[in-house]
Amino acid sequence: MNEVAQDRTRRKASATAPTSGAAPALVPASNARERPSDEPPTLRDLGLLKSLLPYLRPHWPLLILSLCLVPISSLATLLQPYLVKHTLDAVLVQHSESAWLRTVTMFACALLVEFLVGFAETYCMQLAGQRSMADLRREVFRHAQRMTISYYDKTPIGRVLTRVTNDVDSLGEIFSSGAVMAVADIVTLLGVIGFMLALDYRLSLITFVALPPLGVAVELIRRRAREAFRDIRARISELNSYLGEQVQGVQVVQAYGREAKSAAEYMKINDEHRKANYRSIQLDALLYSVVESVSMICVALVLWYASVRAGVLSGNAQQAAYIGTVVAFYQYIQQFFVPIRDLSTKYTIIQSGMAAAERVFGFLSNESVEASAAPTTAESPATIDTAGEALRFSHVDFGYRADDLVLKDVSFSARAGEHLAIVGATGAGKSTTIALLLRLYEHRAGEILVGGRDIRSLPRRQLRQLFSMVPQDVFLFAGTIAQNVAFSPTSVDEAKVREVLSRVGALDLVERRPGGIHARVEERGSNWSAGERQLVAFARALYRDAPFLVLDEATANIDSETEARLQSAVVELMRGRTAIVIAHRLSTIRQADRILVFHRGQVAEQGTHEELLRQGQLYAHLHQLQFGAQ
Amino acid sequence: MSSASADSPAAAQVDQPRAGAPRSLVSYLRPHSAKLWQGMLLLLVTNLLDKSIPWLLRDAVDALVSGALGTVARSAGLVALLAASMGVVRTISRTTVFNIGRDIEFELRNDLLAHLHRLGPSFFQRMPTGETMSRAINDLSQVRVMIGFGLLNIVNSLFAYSLALALMLVMSPELTLWAVLPFPILVLVARLMGKSMFGRSQASQEALGRLSSRVQEALAGVRLVRAFGAESEQEALFEEANRNALEKNMALVVVRGFTWPLMVGVASLGTLLVLFRGTGLVREGTLSVGTLVAFLAYVESLKWPTMGLGYIMAVLQRGRASFNRVREILEAAPDITDAPGAKAPQAAGALRVDHLSYAYGDRTVLQDVSFSVPAEGSLAIVGRTGSGKSTLAALIARILPTPAAAVFLDGDDITQLRLRELRKTVAFAQQEAFLFSETVANNIGYALPETSSPQATQRIHHAAEAACVKSEIEELSDGWQTMVGERGVQLSGGQKQRVALARALLPAPRVLIMDDPLSAVDAKTEARILDALDEAGKGRTFVLVTNRIAAAERCAHILVLDGGRVVEQGDHATLLAAGGLYASLSARQRLEAELGAL
Repeated sequence: MNEVAQDRTRRKASATAPTSGAAPALVPASNARERPSDEPPTLRDLGLLKSLLPYLRPHWPLLILSLCLVPISSLATLLQPYLVKHTLDAVLVQHSESAWLRTVTMFACALLVEFLVGFAETYCMQLAGQRSMADLRREVFRHAQRMTISYYDKTPIGRVLTRVTNDVDSLGEIFSSGAVMAVADIVTLLGVIGFMLALDYRLSLITFVALPPLGVAVELIRRRAREAFRDIRARISELNSYLGEQVQGVQVVQAYGREAKSAAEYMKINDEHRKANYRSIQLDALLYSVVESVSMICVALVLWYASVRAGVLSGNAQQAAYIGTVVAFYQYIQQFFVPIRDLSTKYTIIQSGMAAAERVFGFLSNESVEASAAPTTAESPATIDTAGEALRFSHVDFGYRADDLVLKDVSFSARAGEHLAIVGATGAGKSTTIALLLRLYEHRAGEILVGGRDIRSLPRRQLRQLFSMVPQDVFLFAGTIAQNVAFSPTSVDEAKVREVLSRVGALDLVERRPGGIHARVEERGSNWSAGERQLVAFARALYRDAPFLVLDEATANIDSETEARLQSAVVELMRGRTAIVIAHRLSTIRQADRILVFHRGQVAEQGTHEELLRQGQLYAHLHQLQFGAQ
Repeated sequence: MSSASADSPAAAQVDQPRAGAPRSLVSYLRPHSAKLWQGMLLLLVTNLLDKSIPWLLRDAVDALVSGALGTVARSAGLVALLAASMGVVRTISRTTVFNIGRDIEFELRNDLLAHLHRLGPSFFQRMPTGETMSRAINDLSQVRVMIGFGLLNIVNSLFAYSLALALMLVMSPELTLWAVLPFPILVLVARLMGKSMFGRSQASQEALGRLSSRVQEALAGVRLVRAFGAESEQEALFEEANRNALEKNMALVVVRGFTWPLMVGVASLGTLLVLFRGTGLVREGTLSVGTLVAFLAYVESLKWPTMGLGYIMAVLQRGRASFNRVREILEAAPDITDAPGAKAPQAAGALRVDHLSYAYGDRTVLQDVSFSVPAEGSLAIVGRTGSGKSTLAALIARILPTPAAAVFLDGDDITQLRLRELRKTVAFAQQEAFLFSETVANNIGYALPETSSPQATQRIHHAAEAACVKSEIEELSDGWQTMVGERGVQLSGGQKQRVALARALLPAPRVLIMDDPLSAVDAKTEARILDALDEAGKGRTFVLVTNRIAAAERCAHILVLDGGRVVEQGDHATLLAAGGLYASLSARQRLEAELGAL
């Protein structure tokens, strides 16, 4: 035999592992949380399999078909040594040309069946596996979309990303590596035993003598290999997080001249990683060699017993027939040991798949998802009336952390079509107020009404459809300008895109670019300037044409030409809508019907620009602070 | 700029564990040549033993036919013996060859970190952390697979082929011809499949990459997506990428699923031919049964190496591409290196900046900045966001590639000073407080060779006290041994900054440069820290970058930057009286303070 087979499964595994495209699993926390997964199958695994079942179920016809094909392809494989025996018999015993031709033809047929059925079987299994993984991935993504914003405040994006991509991939590896076909191996093993017994039970028993010691040896090696494997995983995670930190903090390392010491620390972990690998390599090589050697020793046993047995057999014909049996046994022994040899590789893949499944299903069972809408009651009418009082905050309390209130007893309201400006120092609670209005967070006490209806009784989607939101840092996604304006990849009304772009005074800017409204936007909009991004966000809000406008004005330094464009765009944006603007521009503030002055999480003053200036309190200070020095 | 070589042996040891010259794969393999030869020899022996077994099988079967049962038993004994010794040799040969792969991986990892340590901002701006990590993790392991697995299989297949063919030819040239008849097809199929698989696995990886950036984007924009109620649009986008990934992956899987049965089929064709022609020859009486059996065994034993060839192609191609990606990091030129003949800095600590200009690409950040600070003097650099303060501070400390003959320490151009000693003389505390996943004590004692001795502990406590963070550390669950950083306790922004400040204060450098190290600390704590710093700052040169006038006014000399130029300088009183930018900043901050007090 040779060295290739064992690495086959592993290599196949690496063929699909994402190398460059997918983000690397950088987040050490996810590794730290990862429990050692190299224990024997337990109830935990059974539970995981149960969770996996709903994703496999829609594809059951493929799975069943694949499983039904397994015995057929196995049979075709198992028949081959049997047919070799009969071919030899035809030549040596029967001396019959027709029998010889028949068996050779049958051998050719067996090869053909093995090939065709083997392909069909793999294809069905892969299709079912890949499709269910795509389903699972979609479910994980959907779940990620439903997690609360507070969850995202606490969780690095990388960790969630890893759940959707890498973890689902490693789970899918069970299918794509063919490890799931370990089932087929068991069928083959049983088949080999059956055929051997049928051919010659004495030779079979001689062969099986080697099995118990082999079983013990394999189990011993595997147990130690499991420890080595666990060690490797722990070390690799240590290595990666150490390196990640060194890259992120490279300036600190350089500034303190710590390169040598860090390199030494890293080398120590690296060396432990290598040692663990040495151990695993050695055990792996041992397992491989033991299986190979035992299989050859079985051949030797068969030969030896043949020499004993042949002496007992009477007549040339019987002795000649025995040769075919010995040859068939030689081939069966080969077929028998290959799956045993590959078992540990498959086991490894299944184990790491199970570990990934645990993380994926752990994420899916994380219940910090946005609560659904409360049922409508008599006090809160089912319809939304945006004609009268458009919105009202009454006695609203909120804090991001349990021990700390960001908003205290906030009350204000707006009539339909009214323009409110919110001003205040950093941390006064302006952005939080807007986030609560859109129910990105749940307020702790008090009531928020939109169109006379408690926002908690509205389905989130319905509530948010009422608003056009322009956040301070504009988020553009990769695609075209038109797609970004429509905030949709598919349904883009190009005429409307042009119209809104021209209404915010950005059409000429966009059309200057190659492709016009179909000009490329790179990831995060990096190929557009801050001012241009703002204008696109304004156009996006106009395109949406919702009754409420929520605008968090950017404070970024913008050149005076763009500044002028932005000022007139804001006017256009607010026209005919109820608007709440966290204002930083004097022009915006002056145009507002009413100004709410936030101070330490409360509405401290409200009124028009002139009224508030006259009062000479907070607003007057703020005004002087923001615009006085200019 | 200075050249990349280092004359000083000390610096060469630390900063250049291996010369930055391009390293080929061969240069990594060469130190292991003894092991390599040993591994190959062992593989040869393994194959010799392996391929002897069918030969013995021939003798045994022929003896069985002729009824020489003693020979059969002897052959059986020999097979067992060979099998046992093969087990030993094979274990050693696999271990030897695979270990070389791990050794080279180990060296590549070390070299990679050592080189990353030498690289400057020009590299890290070009290659984001994620990309660097992906190369260090994924590409490195591909290289290892290429060296360990690829090497073993190429050499092994070579030996297996030549030995088996030689022995077969000796036994029966005619049957050998029949046996190898399907092999050209096999090689062709293997190559074609290997190629198509390579292309498809690229495509599948790209699809996964796109899927991953889609998800990343959806998550990064999660707040806006929610605000717009645009979850279903995002899901449509995701679904498109998901379906694309599924299709690309299936395309790969089909080839893969097709390849194995096909390879097994074509390889078994050899068995069929040998069986057909061999039995024919036996009937004619020109071939012994034993030879036929041995042929069947040889053909079977060549199945896997042949099939492996197709995959080895893919492994080699991928490994080479990966190595090039790793090499791109290893060959990136460092921005900041020791100049030839660099000397040690002097101990006084007087700074002079002379007509310093600096640009990131074509964006000029500093223009013609000049000033000086006497030894043990103090300087504050103030200015609006984006005025170039942080860049100036980093250039003085040579954290950024400082131009030659622009910054002088005690009259020496800092680009002509040995980096290692410069770092000890000039300490730099960053604005962004980056802490490592270590205990608090180890983070503060970052500059110390060890942190457990009583002296070290005392210094750490002292530094923490100066940074006004001692009592808070002691209140943490594990006190000084509390783990911080990404995997540890989450400290508040202000706490992090103060721990980082303590870290900077600890080595008691001659020159201390602090880049706005207290931006996340409230004004009261800031005042306390500055009081402590007045104490600690005695006897050293102190440069403070700050937005806060209250902090700046404590310094003897103040430099006001605007748009990368020095617009004003002088002491606090002078600048206030001048009524320029400094005065307006001061007025603004006074108003802010009043507002806060309301």
